[in-house]
Amino acid sequence: MSEVRYSGVRESRPNRFNDLGTTGREAEEQFKKGCLKRADRSFAQGLQCQQINSMAALMSLEDSVFISHSPQGCVGCAIMAVDMYRVGQIHRGIKQVKNPRLLVTNIDQKSVVFGGEEKLRAAVKKAVERYHPKLAFIYASCASGIIGDDIDAIAADLQTEYPDTIMVPIHCEGFKSKICASGFDAAFLSINKYILKKQSVPKEKGLVNLFAPTTVSYADQREMERMLSLLGAKVNYIPFYSSLEKIKRIPAAEASTSICKVFADEFMKTLWEDYEIPYSHTVMPIGIRNTDKWYRGIAKVLGKEEEVEKIIAKEHERIEPLVAELKSRLQGIRVFICGGTGRSFAAAALIDDFGMKLVGLETPTYDADAQVDIEYLNEIHKDYVVDIANMQPFEQVNLVNKLKPDAFIGVPDWAAKLGIPTTHVLDGKRSTMGYDGLLYLGNKIADQLQNPGFNKKLAKHVKLPYRDSWYEEDAFKYIL
Amino acid sequence: MSQIMENPKGGCVLAGINSVLGAIDRACPILHSGPGCCMQTTAADQGQSGHKSSCFVSGVSLPSSNMLEKEVVFGGTDKLRTTIQGAIDIIDADAYFVLTGCTAGIIGDDIASVAEGYWEKGFPVYPIETPGFAGDSNLGYEVVWNTLIDQVIEKEVPKDERLVNIFGIVPYHDPFWSGTLEGIDRILSRLGLRVNTFFTKYQGIETIRKCSGAALNIIVNPWLFKGPAKKFEEKFGVPSIRIPGLFTGATDTSAFVRAVGKALDLEEKLVESVVESEEDYVYHYLGQAIGVVSWKRFAVVADANNAVGLTRYLANDYSFTPVLVIVSEPIFRPEDKERITGQIQNLEYAVPPKVLFLTDQYEINQAIREEEREITLLVGSSNEREIALEKDIQFILAAFPMNERLVFNRTYAGYRGSLTFTEDIYDNN
Repeated sequence: MSEVRYSGVRESRPNRFNDLGTTGREAEEQFKKGCLKRADRSFAQGLQCQQINSMAALMSLEDSVFISHSPQGCVGCAIMAVDMYRVGQIHRGIKQVKNPRLLVTNIDQKSVVFGGEEKLRAAVKKAVERYHPKLAFIYASCASGIIGDDIDAIAADLQTEYPDTIMVPIHCEGFKSKICASGFDAAFLSINKYILKKQSVPKEKGLVNLFAPTTVSYADQREMERMLSLLGAKVNYIPFYSSLEKIKRIPAAEASTSICKVFADEFMKTLWEDYEIPYSHTVMPIGIRNTDKWYRGIAKVLGKEEEVEKIIAKEHERIEPLVAELKSRLQGIRVFICGGTGRSFAAAALIDDFGMKLVGLETPTYDADAQVDIEYLNEIHKDYVVDIANMQPFEQVNLVNKLKPDAFIGVPDWAAKLGIPTTHVLDGKRSTMGYDGLLYLGNKIADQLQNPGFNKKLAKHVKLPYRDSWYEEDAFKYIL
Repeated sequence: MSQIMENPKGGCVLAGINSVLGAIDRACPILHSGPGCCMQTTAADQGQSGHKSSCFVSGVSLPSSNMLEKEVVFGGTDKLRTTIQGAIDIIDADAYFVLTGCTAGIIGDDIASVAEGYWEKGFPVYPIETPGFAGDSNLGYEVVWNTLIDQVIEKEVPKDERLVNIFGIVPYHDPFWSGTLEGIDRILSRLGLRVNTFFTKYQGIETIRKCSGAALNIIVNPWLFKGPAKKFEEKFGVPSIRIPGLFTGATDTSAFVRAVGKALDLEEKLVESVVESEEDYVYHYLGQAIGVVSWKRFAVVADANNAVGLTRYLANDYSFTPVLVIVSEPIFRPEDKERITGQIQNLEYAVPPKVLFLTDQYEINQAIREEEREITLLVGSSNEREIALEKDIQFILAAFPMNERLVFNRTYAGYRGSLTFTEDIYDNN
């Protein structure tokens, strides 16, 4: 019997839940007993579709073109990756900053009726003739999926026509998943299928794959590389700001690790299955505890357990006085956290470094991986609300308004309008990770929370769109 | 009829609709669409327009049916009903607009009858049945106004001879829309007029309902709003004048003021006194920095409205030399292209520049790259920065998409806006 391969849709994994309102303790118990059930929201606000993630993951690759087989609106969010690409070039000292080569086929009424194959062919032709790229990524969309355009077959055909460009179709149709991180998996599945092709390559001693999503700043890249080089590793930083050559080096690595919990986690499993590359999947290296954990994880895979302890001890010597000072400023502050899977749990661990108390946690998905973090958090924090939600600001403001935390960590837009002091652990243009990142991030958090004047004044003038009655209701009333 | 495009400027029609509604105070779009359309459509226009987005609901705050495989197969109207009901229950809006994503459009969900159910119960829920794939952001502006004309604006509103409606400045698709509308409002108020900008001053649905009482529709755009203007006149009897380009600087702004004065038969003395004092204000400043901004041979890449206005200001009022103007939004009617070209080429003293209509970034870059005459200033969008760096020419970020700038109420339009534009062009190098 042939093995069933992972489809790239995160919901296809058992025991993974996206719609849940609970507490830390209850979540842990119910999950253990297998009593959590798949739910839905009868009312919801917008999500992030997986196509956004598939695009963002790859749009900084060199010698590549990106073809979105979709109407024009589906490349809207590409601006985030485009901006990170442009700013990333500036940070890396590049003077002639380039745009990514992104083409949209612009599926229209005619394509909906007659199919969009011709447009896709024409777009690929244009892209190849203009840039002679090494890679052409072809992204599916809701529209292309529903009208039934076979992007795989078209790509295969185009491959014979343009042998010098590797065609990589990616199945990131938005309607296939509620979990946007599925889009990362869709991208990596295609990279494996069309570029790596299970071919074995000679191993490079000390080479480590470091998988990084688009939201990781250059400062963070350098810190991660510094930390890994202290273990004697050579870093293959991918796919952000990398190239076909670096992708092809993936199977040559001795180990893999990732900066984000939901980025390349599935791909690293595949790399183990197909190329026998061991990996470390731990946490996002934000804060002392998580940075240590992340560092020990990869060190163990590399057989550098003793070395890493020495380095960690030395780093702690440097960092701990600062953390002690921050702790004196932040001790006892009650915090509500909202973020993506990686950063929400990283922030929750970070606040423990500073002696802050967790009162609410909003994170997109609950699964075995989340359970590990929740078990850890339950040991420290007695009572906190858990909202398994991809944003859903209406639930967030309801909870924040009831819990009245001293601080909010996450996208500040809504809590700010309630006058709550806000700060964030996500900053794709500055430093947040590793030991060096903690210096910048810790000061930012303490300073921002100490000086909440902007939010307090703003809240007097700007009202959120919700009815007063909503704040009295059960925040989870629409989860059915 | 949409083209393959590299680095497109703006989104689909859904993005346009979403952005325009986002600029109406207390209007709540509800998306019947795939799970990403809220973010995508907000990012496509609002997200590339100087980092300002709707304060009421935008992005992931927008109610959405988030259609997944189940809805694609079995239809999504049940999900839409509970989404609308939830939106009414928790969001304190004056009007709700149900928008159609590609998914809902292709599978053919009947959103009109779902909306009608709420309408019958007395809730202001309006369906907009134009799916994302039907066109681009500009079409969204016209679709919203057609919807408002068909479903929201009231007939039998008493006429107000001093009330005017402003059309043609597309919120977020023009990053300077707020400042521009505030500027137009300021100037027309000096003529004793009351101004419906619709998107500033907290003017919301109530202003829209009563806007059929206006004496005149003023379209500030060389091509948009042809269909809605005709419909508006037929249904409500309000005539229109078209100002064929967004005026920047004294010459064109005064022409605008005089055109409005003439259309409304305003007292000439009043009109001329406003023109004189506004022009004096501008030249009082320009006179204090003569020869400070060095002479330039320039190219402009922008939407038609700004391409006309910025080119005419630099050529007619600032005596720079126009070389190349690229209108970078899709324009299909030959008559519109002719009008736009005429506005750009019919200059007072300057030799007319070359005018091209290109929406594809590669073609735009090639046109600038291959231009034989020297260009020393490029006025464009964030997308044109690359070619400016490549050719090592001074670059001014003045058009959509605009990503390296935060814009609240800044504008380059009008009398005062031209001073801001000139300030920004100054380069000490």
